[in-house]
Amino acid sequence: MADTSHPPILVVDDNPDNAHIIRDYLEARGFPITVAYNGDDALKAFEEVKPSLVLLDVMMPGRDGWQVCRDIKSHPTLGRNVRVVMVTALDDWVNKRQALQTGADDFVEKPFELSRLAATVERNVKLLVPNAPSGASTSAPSR
Amino acid sequence: MDYHQLLRDSLTRLPTVAATIDSIRKAIQDRGEVVILYFNFDRYSKVEEVYGWEKLDSVLETTGEAMREYLSKSPLASSRLMVAFPNDDDFVFFHVPQDDTPAATDAEITELTAGLKDAVSSEIERVHGEDIAALFDIFVGRALVVYNPKLRLERQIYRGIREAANASKSLEHREQAKKVSDLRETLRDRGLYIEYHPIVITDSQKVFGYEALARGTMRSMRSPEVMFEIAAQSDLIWDLSRLCRERAIEGMGKLLKDGELLFMNVDPADFADPSFDVNALNVKDPTKVVIEITERTAIKDYPKFRGRLKEFRDKGYRFAVDDAGSGYAGLGSIANLEPDFIKLDMSLINCIDQNFIKQNLVETMVRFANEHGAMVIAEGVERKEEYEMVKSLGVHLVQGFFVHKPSTSGVTYRPPMHPARALADGAK
Repeated sequence: MADTSHPPILVVDDNPDNAHIIRDYLEARGFPITVAYNGDDALKAFEEVKPSLVLLDVMMPGRDGWQVCRDIKSHPTLGRNVRVVMVTALDDWVNKRQALQTGADDFVEKPFELSRLAATVERNVKLLVPNAPSGASTSAPSR
Repeated sequence: MDYHQLLRDSLTRLPTVAATIDSIRKAIQDRGEVVILYFNFDRYSKVEEVYGWEKLDSVLETTGEAMREYLSKSPLASSRLMVAFPNDDDFVFFHVPQDDTPAATDAEITELTAGLKDAVSSEIERVHGEDIAALFDIFVGRALVVYNPKLRLERQIYRGIREAANASKSLEHREQAKKVSDLRETLRDRGLYIEYHPIVITDSQKVFGYEALARGTMRSMRSPEVMFEIAAQSDLIWDLSRLCRERAIEGMGKLLKDGELLFMNVDPADFADPSFDVNALNVKDPTKVVIEITERTAIKDYPKFRGRLKEFRDKGYRFAVDDAGSGYAGLGSIANLEPDFIKLDMSLINCIDQNFIKQNLVETMVRFANEHGAMVIAEGVERKEEYEMVKSLGVHLVQGFFVHKPSTSGVTYRPPMHPARALADGAK
């Protein structure tokens, strides 16, 4: 099966330049990458690729990153086995609380340094264990 | 989303209503009737509010499993069909009787409900602990749908579900009325005891103090959350709070060793109670008492409230903000209360080892506390990984099953029984 230290990653960003920078950087590190440029495509790609990790931009036209995160995390079959990293500056307490409520697992500030992005990806990949304890943060939000 | 994926609830792994109707259509048409049971789980929203959605998800998983297990052994097993509303906390059960058997009667349903309640509640207690199990309550409503070929089956079924749901609600209301009378009896007989949960210093795990938790001696009053919910609905908050405070203070004398503190919960509404007076509390040494005020309850009049706090502070009482970070108020409202202790909301601690946003929030709170000369308490620490994480984040104090197994605590204050109650119990 897939290389567990390099699971598939979905990158979602409406700005192609940003998306491609992330894709190229992570591909060079051995991760299989799929890119989506808006929320609707992200959900389609999510069901097709079944990624273990999603890097999700927040500000997108249409379905924004929060909504996508909620949809991904409450997906009946895939929602429990995916970690979501929000690509945004969650600068205050309230923003971070909201992020938790959507089911997000982590965030990386934007504009990001690539090394920081890599570290964030690595620490989330490390937590992708097949038998997470029940009630783990990889479960779906109930609302 | 793939159509088939919508047909099963991810948490309980039960099929959904839409998926089920199709599969039992023929059976209902052949038999001509279907019994619909609606399982209304009371206070699951409370679990979510207090512990966070991850905990409720996990409780729902346990619930679904325990229900399936129990129902598979019940007399309805041969005709059972369980369904769930995806990601919601209520369940529906269709019972299409076999050809040669009559539909389940009300008496059978009542018996089934009682058994189910015990089975699910003991499983929840085993997996999630007594505090969550004590919140658990289930009300089962029943509706019989007699098939009418002139009407669309789906509509008949959805009407039946609504009817069963309403029936479960009215049961809930009846039960509520009984609980109010149980609470009145508790207040009259002073039927409360106190469990003291240790709060330990994170590094050394030495006892720093105890939080007093009141429990009713009546089974229905076991959970403090339930007692206070009923008290709020029946305007008995002040009376209940008064009794809880008195009991907590009565027990502290024997319990506290040198330097240890008593943490006592006080609702902001209590500050409006004329009898909650700094001189009326029977506390010998106020410096040993920490008053916990929850962030969950809105404080309406800040200046007045702070004035009341000052009266207590001047006598030596200290303050903790409970459930800190539960709302969206941010750190400003915490700073406003100038607490000596900040108790983190449990939802931030649950699985903190796996969520980097929670880690970031707790780190922020620790920094904030250090700047303001306060100490942070992590409540609800259940797993070693959670303990190690809060320790590494600099959290000063810890409370929870990881440092205090309920079965081994043994720190309970049981006041002498009320004479009338002792007499009544003796007569049984």
